[in-house]
Amino acid sequence: MKSSRDLIEEARKEIPELSAADVKQKLACEDNFVLLDIRDNDEYRAGYIPDALYISRGMLEFEIEDYVTDRDQEIVLYCAAGARSLLAAQSLKSLGYTRVISMSGGFRDWSNAGNPIAKPVAMSAEQLERYSRHFMLREIGEDGQAKLLSSRVLLIGAGGLGSPAGVYLAAAGVGTLGVVDSDVVDLSNLQRQILHQTADVDKPKVDSAIETIKAMNPDVNVIPHPIRLDESNAMEIFADYDVIVDGTDNFATRYLVNDAAILADKPIVHGSIFQFEGQLTVFDATQGPCYRCLFPSPPPPGMVPG
Amino acid sequence: MLPGTIGVLMATEAIKLLLGTGNSLVGRLLTYDSMSMQFQEFKINRDESCIACGSDLKLTGLLLDYEAYAETGHLNLPSH
Repeated sequence: MKSSRDLIEEARKEIPELSAADVKQKLACEDNFVLLDIRDNDEYRAGYIPDALYISRGMLEFEIEDYVTDRDQEIVLYCAAGARSLLAAQSLKSLGYTRVISMSGGFRDWSNAGNPIAKPVAMSAEQLERYSRHFMLREIGEDGQAKLLSSRVLLIGAGGLGSPAGVYLAAAGVGTLGVVDSDVVDLSNLQRQILHQTADVDKPKVDSAIETIKAMNPDVNVIPHPIRLDESNAMEIFADYDVIVDGTDNFATRYLVNDAAILADKPIVHGSIFQFEGQLTVFDATQGPCYRCLFPSPPPPGMVPG
Repeated sequence: MLPGTIGVLMATEAIKLLLGTGNSLVGRLLTYDSMSMQFQEFKINRDESCIACGSDLKLTGLLLDYEAYAETGHLNLPSH
């Protein structure tokens, strides 16, 4: 009969090992490899090696193919002390992964050497429940949710486009939502501007937006900008946000938003509607066209409704 | 309803940008005709001579007055 020690010794014969110092060197050289943390969730949450991929050992064989499709991709596995990673590496080898390595000494050696450690953003039990449908999606996961919670999106206009955009961004847990709108809620808005309700008529739209969003998701911090965006305030406001959501309805603002976003190096999610047709794109001048590439100059006044 | 559809798609694109996942609509214009229930996609390219992001760079700062610009089309650039 074998003991766990026997299993580890056998694994050591077929799985190469690297020390924590070697792995640190590899990371510094930006070698093309995957660093994989296979510990239990609570161990991971207490601290992990920055940029490591996380798949707990229990789910490893079931999820690895979603993350590492190339069987010849080099993978360095680590656990707490260097034993589980040897056994896990054997399992990957039997799945056909040809270059698996175990980090001897595990996370213990890494952290004892004073190396940098990352921690997932702590989420409350309520948040873990609230966003549970995001965690099931590999493209989001807990890390993605933490990213959303620390993100800042600016809604330009809390009207027809800004309302649905704002509602879904808030529900999804974007941590900070700026809302630029100098308008007051009108009864005729309610047919489509779902950020606002009957009781909000005659209130400033930013106030109504704050109330709706707070009630929907208290994690979201709404920053009101009850002003008209113009050349005197755009740069200062844009600086604080990661993404601009432009649902405005006039050309002056479209050009202003475009120019300011390029100068501030922020991407714009651009949406527009006219009667029964809508358009959508993302402007990121570092990667593609800007608004002016499509529309180099404004149409003569009166030709196209703003 | 139409703004609802476009607005939610805008939120989707924003979230993809924040997460750095998926393929964003950079370089693509998505159009939606709610009456015929058709989505179409058009490739859109950078204009190499664009005054804001291309080689003919004129906008090193904001214009002085965007309302006036929208009315007249005249680039009221700040003088140096």
